[in-house]
Amino acid sequence: MNDILNGAFHFESLVWHGPIAAYLFLLGLSAGATLIGLLLKRRVIQGPAWKNGFIKAVAVIAPIGIVVSLLILILHLTKPLAFWKLMIYYNVTSVMSVGVMMFQLYTAVLFVWLALVFADPINQFLDLGLQGRLRWLARPIDRCVSFLSRFELSIEWVLALLAAALGAYTGFLLSVLKTYPLLNNPWLPLLFFFSGLSSGVAGTLLLGVVGFKESGDSPSAHWAHAFEKPIIFGELVVLGIFFGWLFLSGGRAEVAALAAITSGFWAVVFWVGVVFVGLLLPLALQTILPAKWQHSVTFIVVLTSSSLLGVVSLRYFILYAGQMTVY
Amino acid sequence: MSVTRRDFLIASTCVATAGAFPVVHSMEVDGKRYTMVHDEKACIGCTACMDACREVNAVPEGVSRLNIIRSEPIGTYPDVTFQFFRQSCQHCDVPPCVAVCPSGASFRDPDTGIVDVDPDKCVGCQYCIAACPYQVRYIDPVTQAADKCDFCRKTNLAQGKLPACVESCPTNALIFGDLNDPDSEVSQVIATSKTYRTKVELGTDPHLYRIAAPTGGNRS
Repeated sequence: MNDILNGAFHFESLVWHGPIAAYLFLLGLSAGATLIGLLLKRRVIQGPAWKNGFIKAVAVIAPIGIVVSLLILILHLTKPLAFWKLMIYYNVTSVMSVGVMMFQLYTAVLFVWLALVFADPINQFLDLGLQGRLRWLARPIDRCVSFLSRFELSIEWVLALLAAALGAYTGFLLSVLKTYPLLNNPWLPLLFFFSGLSSGVAGTLLLGVVGFKESGDSPSAHWAHAFEKPIIFGELVVLGIFFGWLFLSGGRAEVAALAAITSGFWAVVFWVGVVFVGLLLPLALQTILPAKWQHSVTFIVVLTSSSLLGVVSLRYFILYAGQMTVY
Repeated sequence: MSVTRRDFLIASTCVATAGAFPVVHSMEVDGKRYTMVHDEKACIGCTACMDACREVNAVPEGVSRLNIIRSEPIGTYPDVTFQFFRQSCQHCDVPPCVAVCPSGASFRDPDTGIVDVDPDKCVGCQYCIAACPYQVRYIDPVTQAADKCDFCRKTNLAQGKLPACVESCPTNALIFGDLNDPDSEVSQVIATSKTYRTKVELGTDPHLYRIAAPTGGNRS
Protein backbone atom coordinates (compact mmCIF):
# COMPACT_ATOMS: atom_id res chain seq x y z
CA MET A 1 0.00 0.00 0.00
CA ASN A 2 2.81 2.39 0.91
CA ASP A 3 4.52 1.55 -2.35
CA ILE A 4 1.37 2.37 -4.30
CA LEU A 5 0.96 5.74 -2.56
CA ASN A 6 4.65 6.48 -2.92
CA GLY A 7 4.47 5.77 -6.64
CA ALA A 8 1.32 7.87 -7.02
CA PHE A 9 2.78 10.98 -5.39
CA HIS A 10 6.46 10.68 -6.32
CA PHE A 11 7.61 10.04 -9.86
CA GLU A 12 10.32 11.42 -12.09
CA SER A 13 8.18 13.42 -14.50
CA LEU A 14 6.31 15.16 -11.63
CA VAL A 15 7.06 18.89 -11.54
CA TRP A 16 4.01 20.45 -9.87
CA HIS A 17 2.96 18.86 -6.58
CA GLY A 18 -0.13 18.73 -4.36
CA PRO A 19 -0.21 22.42 -3.33
CA ILE A 20 -0.86 23.30 -6.98
CA ALA A 21 -3.94 21.05 -6.98
CA ALA A 22 -5.19 22.88 -3.87
CA TYR A 23 -4.47 26.18 -5.65
CA LEU A 24 -6.48 25.07 -8.69
CA PHE A 25 -9.37 23.96 -6.48
CA LEU A 26 -9.53 27.15 -4.39
CA LEU A 27 -9.27 29.44 -7.41
CA GLY A 28 -12.11 27.56 -9.14
CA LEU A 29 -14.15 27.63 -5.92
CA SER A 30 -13.69 31.38 -5.54
CA ALA A 31 -14.57 32.12 -9.17
CA GLY A 32 -17.55 29.74 -9.05
CA ALA A 33 -18.91 31.21 -5.80
CA THR A 34 -18.61 34.74 -7.18
CA LEU A 35 -20.59 33.80 -10.29
CA ILE A 36 -23.27 32.16 -8.14
CA GLY A 37 -23.41 35.20 -5.87
CA LEU A 38 -23.85 37.54 -8.84
CA LEU A 39 -26.58 35.39 -10.36
CA LEU A 40 -28.42 35.02 -7.04
CA LYS A 41 -28.34 38.76 -6.40
CA ARG A 42 -29.48 39.65 -9.92
CA ARG A 43 -32.07 36.98 -10.51
CA VAL A 44 -33.44 35.62 -7.28
CA ILE A 45 -33.00 37.72 -4.16
CA GLN A 46 -35.67 40.28 -3.32
CA GLY A 47 -34.75 43.07 -0.93
CA PRO A 48 -31.31 43.72 0.57
CA ALA A 49 -28.94 41.01 -0.71
CA TRP A 50 -26.64 41.16 2.32
CA LYS A 51 -29.34 39.63 4.54
CA ASN A 52 -29.32 36.46 2.43
CA GLY A 53 -27.33 33.57 3.95
CA PHE A 54 -26.00 32.45 0.58
CA ILE A 55 -24.67 35.91 -0.23
CA LYS A 56 -22.96 35.87 3.18
CA ALA A 57 -21.47 32.50 2.22
CA VAL A 58 -20.19 33.93 -1.07
CA ALA A 59 -18.68 36.85 0.85
CA VAL A 60 -16.69 34.33 2.91
CA ILE A 61 -15.79 31.76 0.25
CA ALA A 62 -14.83 34.01 -2.67
CA PRO A 63 -12.27 36.27 -0.91
CA ILE A 64 -10.80 33.49 1.24
CA GLY A 65 -10.57 31.22 -1.81
CA ILE A 66 -8.63 33.72 -3.90
CA VAL A 67 -6.36 34.94 -1.08
CA VAL A 68 -5.46 31.45 0.17
CA SER A 69 -4.89 30.17 -3.36
CA LEU A 70 -2.51 33.06 -4.05
CA LEU A 71 -0.66 32.38 -0.79
CA ILE A 72 -0.28 28.74 -1.82
CA LEU A 73 1.05 29.79 -5.21
CA ILE A 74 3.57 32.19 -3.65
CA LEU A 75 4.77 29.68 -1.05
CA HIS A 76 5.21 27.12 -3.82
CA LEU A 77 7.79 29.32 -5.59
CA THR A 78 11.42 28.40 -4.95
CA LYS A 79 11.90 32.12 -4.20
CA PRO A 80 8.69 33.12 -2.37
CA LEU A 81 10.09 36.52 -1.40
CA ALA A 82 10.61 37.39 -5.06
CA PHE A 83 6.88 37.01 -5.83
CA TRP A 84 6.57 40.76 -6.47
CA LYS A 85 8.61 40.33 -9.64
CA LEU A 86 5.56 38.57 -11.10
CA MET A 87 3.66 41.81 -10.58
CA ILE A 88 6.32 43.93 -12.29
CA TYR A 89 7.50 41.82 -15.20
CA TYR A 90 4.80 40.56 -17.51
CA ASN A 91 4.87 38.22 -20.48
CA VAL A 92 1.71 38.22 -22.58
CA THR A 93 2.47 34.79 -24.07
CA SER A 94 2.52 33.24 -20.59
CA VAL A 95 -0.82 31.96 -19.31
CA MET A 96 0.49 32.34 -15.77
CA SER A 97 1.44 35.96 -16.33
CA VAL A 98 -1.97 36.77 -17.81
CA GLY A 99 -3.43 34.98 -14.77
CA VAL A 100 -1.44 37.22 -12.41
CA MET A 101 -2.88 40.24 -14.18
CA MET A 102 -6.40 38.83 -14.01
CA PHE A 103 -6.44 37.78 -10.39
CA GLN A 104 -5.15 41.12 -9.20
CA LEU A 105 -8.02 42.78 -11.06
CA TYR A 106 -10.47 40.13 -9.89
CA THR A 107 -9.48 40.51 -6.25
CA ALA A 108 -9.82 44.29 -6.40
CA VAL A 109 -13.21 44.22 -8.17
CA LEU A 110 -14.46 41.45 -5.86
CA PHE A 111 -13.74 43.54 -2.76
CA VAL A 112 -15.39 46.59 -4.32
CA TRP A 113 -18.49 44.57 -5.16
CA LEU A 114 -18.66 43.07 -1.65
CA ALA A 115 -18.31 46.56 -0.19
CA LEU A 116 -21.29 47.68 -2.30
CA VAL A 117 -23.41 44.68 -1.35
CA PHE A 118 -22.59 45.00 2.35
CA ALA A 119 -22.65 48.81 2.41
CA ASP A 120 -25.39 48.98 5.07
CA PRO A 121 -23.84 46.65 7.66
CA ILE A 122 -20.38 48.13 7.00
CA ASN A 123 -21.76 51.60 7.62
CA GLN A 124 -23.50 50.46 10.75
CA PHE A 125 -20.32 48.87 12.05
CA LEU A 126 -18.23 51.96 11.37
CA ASP A 127 -20.82 54.09 13.12
CA LEU A 128 -21.30 52.04 16.25
CA GLY A 129 -18.54 49.40 16.32
CA LEU A 130 -15.63 49.54 18.79
CA GLN A 131 -17.45 52.16 20.90
CA GLY A 132 -17.62 54.53 17.95
CA ARG A 133 -13.84 54.68 17.54
CA LEU A 134 -14.16 54.11 13.79
CA ARG A 135 -16.74 56.84 13.27
CA TRP A 136 -14.25 59.12 11.49
CA LEU A 137 -13.96 56.45 8.76
CA ALA A 138 -17.69 56.25 8.15
CA ARG A 139 -18.04 59.40 6.09
CA PRO A 140 -15.23 58.92 3.53
CA ILE A 141 -16.11 55.26 3.04
CA ASP A 142 -19.77 56.06 2.64
CA ARG A 143 -18.88 58.65 -0.01
CA CYS A 144 -16.69 56.15 -1.88
CA VAL A 145 -19.41 53.53 -1.78
CA SER A 146 -22.17 55.85 -2.94
CA PHE A 147 -19.94 57.04 -5.79
CA LEU A 148 -19.12 53.45 -6.86
CA SER A 149 -22.72 52.32 -6.48
CA ARG A 150 -23.57 54.41 -9.54
CA PHE A 151 -21.57 51.87 -11.56
CA GLU A 152 -22.92 48.80 -9.80
CA LEU A 153 -24.22 47.07 -12.91
CA SER A 154 -20.95 47.61 -14.83
CA ILE A 155 -18.93 46.42 -11.83
CA GLU A 156 -21.03 43.27 -11.67
CA TRP A 157 -20.52 42.58 -15.37
CA VAL A 158 -16.77 43.10 -15.12
CA LEU A 159 -16.62 40.85 -12.06
CA ALA A 160 -18.66 38.16 -13.83
CA LEU A 161 -16.33 38.22 -16.83
CA LEU A 162 -13.21 38.10 -14.64
CA ALA A 163 -14.63 35.23 -12.57
CA ALA A 164 -15.53 33.26 -15.70
CA ALA A 165 -12.06 33.90 -17.17
CA LEU A 166 -10.35 32.79 -13.94
CA GLY A 167 -12.47 29.64 -13.85
CA ALA A 168 -11.16 28.69 -17.28
CA TYR A 169 -7.65 30.04 -16.56
CA THR A 170 -6.72 27.12 -14.31
CA GLY A 171 -7.40 24.85 -17.28
CA PHE A 172 -5.39 26.93 -19.75
CA LEU A 173 -2.50 26.99 -17.28
CA LEU A 174 -2.11 23.22 -17.64
CA SER A 175 -3.40 22.70 -21.17
CA VAL A 176 -0.50 24.61 -22.77
CA LEU A 177 1.99 22.03 -21.45
CA LYS A 178 3.05 20.04 -24.52
CA THR A 179 5.16 17.81 -22.29
CA TYR A 180 2.11 16.02 -20.93
CA PRO A 181 -0.38 14.72 -23.53
CA LEU A 182 -3.23 14.29 -21.03
CA LEU A 183 -2.97 17.94 -19.96
CA ASN A 184 -2.29 19.25 -23.47
CA ASN A 185 -6.01 18.94 -24.12
CA PRO A 186 -8.22 21.73 -25.53
CA TRP A 187 -11.15 20.61 -23.36
CA LEU A 188 -9.36 21.14 -20.05
CA PRO A 189 -10.33 24.85 -19.63
CA LEU A 190 -14.01 24.06 -20.13
CA LEU A 191 -13.81 21.06 -17.79
CA PHE A 192 -12.22 23.18 -15.06
CA PHE A 193 -14.74 25.97 -15.67
CA PHE A 194 -17.64 23.56 -15.08
CA SER A 195 -16.02 21.93 -12.06
CA GLY A 196 -15.22 25.36 -10.59
CA LEU A 197 -18.83 26.38 -11.05
CA SER A 198 -20.13 23.20 -9.43
CA SER A 199 -17.77 23.65 -6.46
CA GLY A 200 -18.99 27.26 -6.24
CA VAL A 201 -22.67 26.22 -6.01
CA ALA A 202 -21.91 23.39 -3.60
CA GLY A 203 -19.71 25.54 -1.33
CA THR A 204 -22.25 28.38 -1.27
CA LEU A 205 -25.17 26.03 -0.52
CA LEU A 206 -23.24 24.19 2.19
CA LEU A 207 -21.96 27.27 4.03
CA GLY A 208 -25.25 29.13 3.54
CA VAL A 209 -27.32 26.36 5.09
CA VAL A 210 -24.90 25.16 7.77
CA GLY A 211 -23.01 28.34 8.64
CA PHE A 212 -25.60 31.05 8.05
CA LYS A 213 -28.74 29.03 8.82
CA GLU A 214 -30.38 29.81 5.51
CA SER A 215 -33.45 27.64 4.89
CA GLY A 216 -33.04 24.79 2.43
CA ASP A 217 -36.50 25.63 1.20
CA SER A 218 -35.96 29.32 0.38
CA PRO A 219 -36.26 30.64 -3.20
CA SER A 220 -32.44 31.03 -3.27
CA ALA A 221 -31.92 27.42 -2.23
CA HIS A 222 -34.43 26.24 -4.82
CA TRP A 223 -32.67 28.22 -7.50
CA ALA A 224 -29.20 26.99 -6.49
CA HIS A 225 -30.48 23.42 -6.53
CA ALA A 226 -32.03 23.83 -9.94
CA PHE A 227 -28.75 25.34 -11.16
CA GLU A 228 -26.57 22.59 -9.71
CA LYS A 229 -28.05 19.68 -11.67
CA PRO A 230 -27.32 20.93 -15.20
CA ILE A 231 -23.85 22.06 -14.11
CA ILE A 232 -22.97 18.58 -12.82
CA PHE A 233 -24.50 17.05 -15.93
CA GLY A 234 -22.45 19.42 -18.08
CA GLU A 235 -19.30 18.51 -16.17
CA LEU A 236 -19.98 14.83 -16.82
CA VAL A 237 -20.44 15.48 -20.54
CA VAL A 238 -17.25 17.58 -20.82
CA LEU A 239 -15.33 14.92 -18.88
CA GLY A 240 -16.53 12.38 -21.43
CA ILE A 241 -15.46 14.57 -24.34
CA PHE A 242 -12.12 15.25 -22.60
CA PHE A 243 -11.28 11.53 -22.58
CA GLY A 244 -12.94 10.88 -25.92
CA TRP A 245 -10.63 13.46 -27.47
CA LEU A 246 -7.59 11.80 -25.89
CA PHE A 247 -8.57 8.32 -27.08
CA LEU A 248 -9.37 9.46 -30.60
CA SER A 249 -6.13 11.45 -30.84
CA GLY A 250 -4.20 8.21 -30.54
CA GLY A 251 -0.46 8.05 -29.90
CA ARG A 252 0.80 9.28 -26.55
CA ALA A 253 -2.54 10.95 -25.78
CA GLU A 254 -4.25 7.57 -25.92
CA VAL A 255 -1.49 5.95 -23.85
CA ALA A 256 -1.81 8.70 -21.23
CA ALA A 257 -5.61 8.41 -21.04
CA LEU A 258 -5.52 4.65 -20.80
CA ALA A 259 -2.87 4.69 -18.07
CA ALA A 260 -4.71 7.36 -16.10
CA ILE A 261 -8.09 5.65 -15.84
CA THR A 262 -7.29 1.96 -15.96
CA SER A 263 -4.50 1.33 -13.50
CA GLY A 264 -2.97 2.44 -10.25
CA PHE A 265 -3.98 4.78 -7.45
CA TRP A 266 -5.18 7.63 -9.69
CA ALA A 267 -7.58 5.37 -11.60
CA VAL A 268 -9.28 4.63 -8.26
CA VAL A 269 -9.41 8.37 -7.46
CA PHE A 270 -10.95 8.93 -10.90
CA TRP A 271 -13.66 6.30 -10.80
CA VAL A 272 -14.53 6.53 -7.10
CA GLY A 273 -13.82 10.20 -6.33
CA VAL A 274 -14.41 12.07 -9.58
CA VAL A 275 -17.04 9.98 -11.36
CA PHE A 276 -19.00 8.28 -8.57
CA VAL A 277 -18.83 10.60 -5.56
CA GLY A 278 -18.53 13.83 -7.51
CA LEU A 279 -20.89 13.32 -10.43
CA LEU A 280 -23.06 10.17 -10.41
CA LEU A 281 -24.02 10.23 -6.72
CA PRO A 282 -25.22 13.87 -6.69
CA LEU A 283 -27.08 13.36 -9.99
CA ALA A 284 -28.70 10.16 -8.73
CA LEU A 285 -29.67 11.68 -5.38
CA GLN A 286 -31.26 14.66 -7.09
CA THR A 287 -33.14 12.45 -9.51
CA ILE A 288 -34.24 9.54 -7.34
CA LEU A 289 -35.07 11.09 -3.96
CA PRO A 290 -38.58 12.54 -3.47
CA ALA A 291 -38.83 16.30 -3.82
CA LYS A 292 -39.80 16.88 -0.17
CA TRP A 293 -36.44 15.46 1.02
CA GLN A 294 -34.43 17.52 -1.42
CA HIS A 295 -34.53 20.63 0.72
CA SER A 296 -33.67 19.12 4.08
CA VAL A 297 -30.40 20.23 5.66
CA THR A 298 -29.06 16.66 5.79
CA PHE A 299 -29.69 16.16 2.10
CA ILE A 300 -27.98 19.43 1.21
CA VAL A 301 -24.97 18.61 3.38
CA VAL A 302 -24.55 15.14 1.83
CA LEU A 303 -25.10 16.37 -1.72
CA THR A 304 -22.77 19.37 -1.55
CA SER A 305 -20.04 17.53 0.36
CA SER A 306 -19.95 14.77 -2.21
CA SER A 307 -19.88 17.31 -5.03
CA LEU A 308 -17.02 19.25 -3.36
CA LEU A 309 -15.09 16.03 -2.71
CA GLY A 310 -15.51 15.19 -6.38
CA VAL A 311 -14.07 18.53 -7.49
CA VAL A 312 -11.07 18.18 -5.14
CA SER A 313 -10.53 14.66 -6.54
CA LEU A 314 -10.74 15.98 -10.10
CA ARG A 315 -8.06 18.63 -9.52
CA TYR A 316 -5.68 16.15 -7.85
CA PHE A 317 -6.38 13.48 -10.46
CA ILE A 318 -5.80 15.80 -13.43
CA LEU A 319 -2.63 17.29 -11.93
CA TYR A 320 -0.97 14.02 -10.89
CA ALA A 321 -2.24 11.57 -13.51
CA GLY A 322 -1.64 14.29 -16.10
CA GLN A 323 2.05 14.47 -15.28
CA MET A 324 2.57 10.70 -15.22
CA THR A 325 2.76 10.19 -18.98
CA VAL A 326 5.15 12.36 -20.97
CA TYR A 327 5.13 12.99 -24.67
CA MET B 1 -11.91 57.18 -63.62
CA SER B 2 -11.13 54.52 -66.15
CA VAL B 3 -8.31 52.04 -65.91
CA THR B 4 -6.84 50.66 -69.10
CA ARG B 5 -5.36 47.22 -69.26
CA ARG B 6 -1.94 48.84 -69.65
CA ASP B 7 -2.38 50.94 -66.47
CA PHE B 8 -3.56 47.89 -64.61
CA LEU B 9 -0.54 45.84 -65.64
CA ILE B 10 1.90 48.59 -64.67
CA ALA B 11 0.19 49.09 -61.34
CA SER B 12 0.07 45.42 -60.51
CA THR B 13 3.72 44.99 -61.44
CA CYS B 14 4.62 47.79 -59.04
CA VAL B 15 2.61 46.19 -56.22
CA ALA B 16 4.11 42.78 -56.86
CA THR B 17 7.64 44.21 -56.89
CA ALA B 18 7.09 46.15 -53.70
CA GLY B 19 5.61 43.05 -52.11
CA ALA B 20 8.64 41.01 -53.03
CA PHE B 21 11.10 43.25 -51.20
CA PRO B 22 10.23 42.25 -47.63
CA VAL B 23 10.60 38.60 -48.62
CA VAL B 24 14.09 39.25 -49.96
CA HIS B 25 14.90 41.23 -46.84
CA SER B 26 13.83 38.51 -44.41
CA MET B 27 16.11 36.01 -46.15
CA GLU B 28 19.09 38.16 -45.31
CA VAL B 29 21.09 36.51 -42.57
CA ASP B 30 21.48 38.64 -39.50
CA GLY B 31 23.18 37.34 -36.39
CA LYS B 32 24.28 33.85 -35.57
CA ARG B 33 22.24 30.70 -35.05
CA TYR B 34 24.30 28.45 -32.81
CA THR B 35 23.56 24.80 -33.39
CA MET B 36 25.00 21.50 -32.18
CA VAL B 37 25.27 18.07 -33.74
CA HIS B 38 25.71 14.95 -31.63
CA ASP B 39 27.25 12.23 -33.77
CA GLU B 40 25.96 9.09 -32.09
CA LYS B 41 28.18 7.02 -34.39
CA ALA B 42 31.31 8.63 -33.01
CA CYS B 43 30.18 8.84 -29.36
CA ILE B 44 31.76 6.22 -27.10
CA GLY B 45 29.80 7.22 -23.98
CA CYS B 46 32.87 8.24 -21.97
CA THR B 47 30.90 11.13 -20.38
CA ALA B 48 33.93 13.44 -20.45
CA CYS B 49 31.49 16.08 -21.76
CA MET B 50 29.37 15.79 -18.62
CA ASP B 51 32.38 16.34 -16.35
CA ALA B 52 33.70 19.25 -18.43
CA CYS B 53 30.28 20.93 -18.39
CA ARG B 54 29.98 20.63 -14.62
CA GLU B 55 33.45 22.04 -14.07
CA VAL B 56 33.33 24.95 -16.52
CA ASN B 57 29.83 26.08 -15.61
CA ALA B 58 30.15 25.32 -11.88
CA VAL B 59 27.02 23.15 -11.97
CA PRO B 60 26.19 22.04 -8.39
CA GLU B 61 26.02 18.37 -7.40
CA GLY B 62 22.62 16.73 -7.73
CA VAL B 63 21.65 18.54 -10.94
CA SER B 64 23.14 18.49 -14.43
CA ARG B 65 22.87 20.42 -17.67
CA LEU B 66 23.93 17.49 -19.77
CA ASN B 67 23.36 13.75 -19.56
CA ILE B 68 24.57 10.99 -21.83
CA ILE B 69 21.98 8.24 -21.60
CA ARG B 70 23.26 4.76 -22.40
CA SER B 71 20.90 2.29 -24.05
CA GLU B 72 20.39 -1.32 -23.06
CA PRO B 73 23.16 -3.55 -24.48
CA ILE B 74 22.55 -4.28 -28.16
CA GLY B 75 23.62 -7.66 -29.57
CA THR B 76 24.98 -10.76 -27.83
CA TYR B 77 28.33 -11.26 -26.16
CA PRO B 78 31.02 -10.72 -27.36
CA ASP B 79 29.47 -8.47 -30.04
CA VAL B 80 27.82 -6.05 -27.68
CA THR B 81 27.31 -2.39 -28.44
CA PHE B 82 25.42 0.52 -26.93
CA GLN B 83 23.70 3.65 -28.16
CA PHE B 84 24.31 6.98 -26.54
CA PHE B 85 21.74 9.76 -26.38
CA ARG B 86 22.53 13.32 -25.41
CA GLN B 87 19.92 14.88 -23.13
CA SER B 88 20.33 18.64 -22.87
CA CYS B 89 18.68 21.89 -23.94
CA GLN B 90 17.78 21.83 -27.66
CA HIS B 91 17.85 25.65 -28.03
CA CYS B 92 14.53 25.63 -29.84
CA ASP B 93 13.57 28.39 -32.24
CA VAL B 94 10.08 28.22 -30.72
CA PRO B 95 10.92 27.42 -27.09
CA PRO B 96 7.88 26.46 -24.95
CA CYS B 97 9.85 27.38 -21.80
CA VAL B 98 10.19 31.00 -22.99
CA ALA B 99 6.52 31.22 -24.00
CA VAL B 100 5.26 30.16 -20.56
CA CYS B 101 7.71 32.09 -18.36
CA PRO B 102 5.59 34.63 -16.44
CA SER B 103 8.43 37.03 -15.59
CA GLY B 104 10.41 36.92 -18.82
CA ALA B 105 13.36 35.31 -17.02
CA SER B 106 13.55 32.65 -19.72
CA PHE B 107 14.54 34.19 -22.99
CA ARG B 108 15.97 33.45 -26.41
CA ASP B 109 18.97 35.60 -27.30
CA PRO B 110 18.16 36.97 -30.78
CA ASP B 111 21.85 37.42 -31.67
CA THR B 112 22.85 33.81 -31.13
CA GLY B 113 19.61 31.81 -30.97
CA ILE B 114 20.66 30.57 -27.53
CA VAL B 115 17.89 30.00 -24.99
CA ASP B 116 18.96 31.20 -21.56
CA VAL B 117 17.68 32.16 -18.08
CA ASP B 118 18.13 35.39 -16.14
CA PRO B 119 18.40 33.97 -12.60
CA ASP B 120 17.58 37.34 -11.05
CA LYS B 121 14.23 37.62 -12.83
CA CYS B 122 13.31 33.97 -12.15
CA VAL B 123 10.93 33.47 -9.21
CA GLY B 124 11.02 29.67 -9.33
CA CYS B 125 7.44 28.87 -10.39
CA GLN B 126 8.77 25.88 -12.35
CA TYR B 127 6.32 26.43 -15.20
CA CYS B 128 9.24 26.19 -17.67
CA ILE B 129 10.38 22.89 -16.18
CA ALA B 130 6.92 21.45 -16.81
CA ALA B 131 6.63 23.07 -20.24
CA CYS B 132 9.91 21.77 -21.70
CA PRO B 133 9.05 18.61 -23.66
CA TYR B 134 12.73 17.60 -23.56
CA GLN B 135 12.76 17.71 -19.74
CA VAL B 136 16.17 19.30 -19.41
CA ARG B 137 15.45 22.06 -16.89
CA TYR B 138 16.02 22.00 -13.14
CA ILE B 139 16.10 24.34 -10.17
CA ASP B 140 19.67 25.25 -9.30
CA PRO B 141 20.05 24.44 -5.59
CA VAL B 142 22.34 27.45 -5.08
CA THR B 143 20.52 30.25 -6.93
CA GLN B 144 17.03 28.69 -6.55
CA ALA B 145 16.43 29.74 -10.16
CA ALA B 146 15.64 27.53 -13.16
CA ASP B 147 18.72 26.58 -15.16
CA LYS B 148 19.96 24.42 -18.04
CA CYS B 149 22.56 24.24 -20.83
CA ASP B 150 23.31 27.66 -22.37
CA PHE B 151 25.92 26.43 -24.90
CA CYS B 152 28.44 27.93 -22.40
CA ARG B 153 27.15 31.39 -23.39
CA LYS B 154 28.42 32.97 -20.18
CA THR B 155 31.63 30.93 -19.83
CA ASN B 156 33.58 29.38 -22.71
CA LEU B 157 31.69 31.09 -25.54
CA ALA B 158 32.17 34.49 -23.91
CA GLN B 159 35.92 33.78 -23.89
CA GLY B 160 35.91 32.88 -27.56
CA LYS B 161 36.21 29.14 -26.91
CA LEU B 162 33.97 26.26 -27.94
CA PRO B 163 31.44 24.94 -25.39
CA ALA B 164 33.09 22.78 -22.71
CA CYS B 165 31.46 19.55 -23.90
CA VAL B 166 32.67 20.08 -27.48
CA GLU B 167 36.18 20.94 -26.33
CA SER B 168 36.46 17.89 -24.14
CA CYS B 169 35.09 15.26 -26.53
CA PRO B 170 37.91 12.81 -27.38
CA THR B 171 36.19 11.42 -30.49
CA ASN B 172 34.90 14.70 -31.97
CA ALA B 173 31.35 13.46 -31.63
CA LEU B 174 30.12 16.99 -30.92
CA ILE B 175 30.09 19.61 -33.67
CA PHE B 176 29.17 23.17 -32.78
CA GLY B 177 28.84 26.33 -34.82
CA ASP B 178 26.74 28.87 -36.65
CA LEU B 179 23.98 27.41 -38.82
CA ASN B 180 23.49 30.80 -40.49
CA ASP B 181 26.98 30.52 -41.94
CA PRO B 182 26.74 28.01 -44.82
CA ASP B 183 30.51 27.40 -44.69
CA SER B 184 30.67 26.49 -40.99
CA GLU B 185 31.46 22.89 -40.08
CA VAL B 186 28.08 22.43 -38.42
CA SER B 187 26.25 23.63 -41.56
CA GLN B 188 28.37 21.33 -43.73
CA VAL B 189 27.74 18.31 -41.50
CA ILE B 190 23.98 18.95 -41.41
CA ALA B 191 23.93 19.46 -45.19
CA THR B 192 25.85 16.30 -46.00
CA SER B 193 24.85 13.81 -43.27
CA LYS B 194 21.58 12.16 -42.45
CA THR B 195 20.56 13.79 -39.19
CA TYR B 196 17.48 13.64 -36.98
CA ARG B 197 15.98 15.80 -34.27
CA THR B 198 13.55 14.73 -31.57
CA LYS B 199 9.92 15.78 -31.07
CA VAL B 200 9.94 18.11 -34.10
CA GLU B 201 6.23 17.41 -34.48
CA LEU B 202 5.62 19.63 -31.44
CA GLY B 203 6.67 22.62 -33.52
CA THR B 204 9.58 23.60 -31.26
CA ASP B 205 12.20 23.63 -34.06
CA PRO B 206 15.02 22.23 -31.89
CA HIS B 207 18.65 23.03 -32.78
CA LEU B 208 20.29 19.90 -31.46
CA TYR B 209 20.78 17.60 -34.43
CA ARG B 210 21.77 13.97 -34.10
CA ILE B 211 23.47 11.48 -36.38
CA ALA B 212 22.03 8.05 -35.67
CA ALA B 213 24.30 5.10 -34.95
CA PRO B 214 23.94 2.28 -37.53
CA THR B 215 22.39 -0.08 -35.00
CA GLY B 216 19.14 1.81 -35.52
CA GLY B 217 16.31 2.34 -33.08
CA ASN B 218 16.54 6.09 -32.55
CA ARG B 219 15.27 7.39 -29.27
CA SER B 220 12.76 10.14 -29.35
